[in-house]
Amino acid sequence: MARLRLLERDDAPLTARHFYRDDGTASSLTRSLVNAPDLLESFMPFLAQVYAEGSIDVATKELVVVRVSQLNACQYCLAAHRPIALDAGVPPELVAAICEEAPLAELPERERTLIEWVDRYVLDPASIDDELMARVLDYVRDDQLVELALVAGATQLLNHYCTAFAIPPPGA
Amino acid sequence: MTVTGFETAVEEGRCGERLWLYATYHCNLACIYCLTESHPGIANRRGLSSDLLLQLAREARGLGFGSLGVTGGEVFMLPDMAETLAELGSLLPTVALTNATLFTDRMLGRLEPLADLDVALQISLDSPDPLRNDALRGPENFAKVAEAVPKLVERGIDTRIATTVDDQSEDELERLCELHRSWGVSDDDHVVRGIVRRGRAAIEGMGSEPGPTDILPELTITADGAFLHPFAPTVRHGVTDLDLLVSRQVTPLSAAVRRFVGVVADQPVGTDAAATFT
Repeated sequence: MARLRLLERDDAPLTARHFYRDDGTASSLTRSLVNAPDLLESFMPFLAQVYAEGSIDVATKELVVVRVSQLNACQYCLAAHRPIALDAGVPPELVAAICEEAPLAELPERERTLIEWVDRYVLDPASIDDELMARVLDYVRDDQLVELALVAGATQLLNHYCTAFAIPPPGA
Repeated sequence: MTVTGFETAVEEGRCGERLWLYATYHCNLACIYCLTESHPGIANRRGLSSDLLLQLAREARGLGFGSLGVTGGEVFMLPDMAETLAELGSLLPTVALTNATLFTDRMLGRLEPLADLDVALQISLDSPDPLRNDALRGPENFAKVAEAVPKLVERGIDTRIATTVDDQSEDELERLCELHRSWGVSDDDHVVRGIVRRGRAAIEGMGSEPGPTDILPELTITADGAFLHPFAPTVRHGVTDLDLLVSRQVTPLSAAVRRFVGVVADQPVGTDAAATFT
């Protein structure tokens, strides 16, 4: 059971009702966030931009989202983003690997390098050295890496939020 | 300093020029139709400090608000309310809603400076019948009001009576009017209003649900945030309703006003002023 009130649209603050879908529904994450509507004025557009296609494709972003969520064992974000990753074109065997259901060693070099960078960025950022940076920058530009860092950071934030407040995953 | 759109919204009748301040959710009574489930044993009193009340009032004056309303809970549960009201009244015309049950002679003495200020005390009284009034509002309420009101009037303090109507008969209301007239409170200073079906009244199935244009929006600040009007920050089963919340942020007040203006710009123009409340 969620540790925050999950507000239905009619019970939500007036300034936050536009975050609900036209049919009045919203994810349990959104229904909890609207308890603090003021920050959502900037936070929701920020999230939308961070997760949308930018300087780098959505599939790569979702790869990062799912991996970070796996590292943080966030049931909500894994349930929400595994289907999104597949829809974005991430191969099922790649999703399985980053969710530790298959060996990472069999991933293509690009994905393996990105996952290594994500793992260290989340778990031990001080361990990211020049050698790893150079390898990552063989596959993405520096501005793209900045964008992936923001994706990883936003996901980490939501992982902690959803886990701490026991936000029910989609379909639960 | 102004917030773009506030004064225009007032001029267009989209909102009132009064700022409401919920000083506390604590109360020494437990009225059966209370919007906020206030009662003597409330665990989380959620008060606004005197400093914060004054800070908000100063900012409100600068933003173009024309008056203040102070309510609760029972505002005189806060120990320095008499002096705070005097300071608020020196900033803007102020009305404070009270049950008048804490007006000892000492308290009446502390209230005397209000006579020289634009401060009104609006006292709740629901029936000329002591037993019936007290059944709605609490033991000995009638006797305390009957004792306090003439003393306030005698001291020159602007005193009003507010009656919340449930199923009182016309005869009963007429007798109530005779009573407040006998205390020196004119008909112009007697407000009669219906029960709003929110808070404890909703749980009890009392009153009527207000329509979207029935209550004029008047920015209302509580410890839980800023709300659309003074009937909005209601509590049910200990949980504050958020459906009419417009902002969690209340300082600076301009942030809440900006969001309030954004909300009222999308609302139909109200047909009933906050006279229903004051």
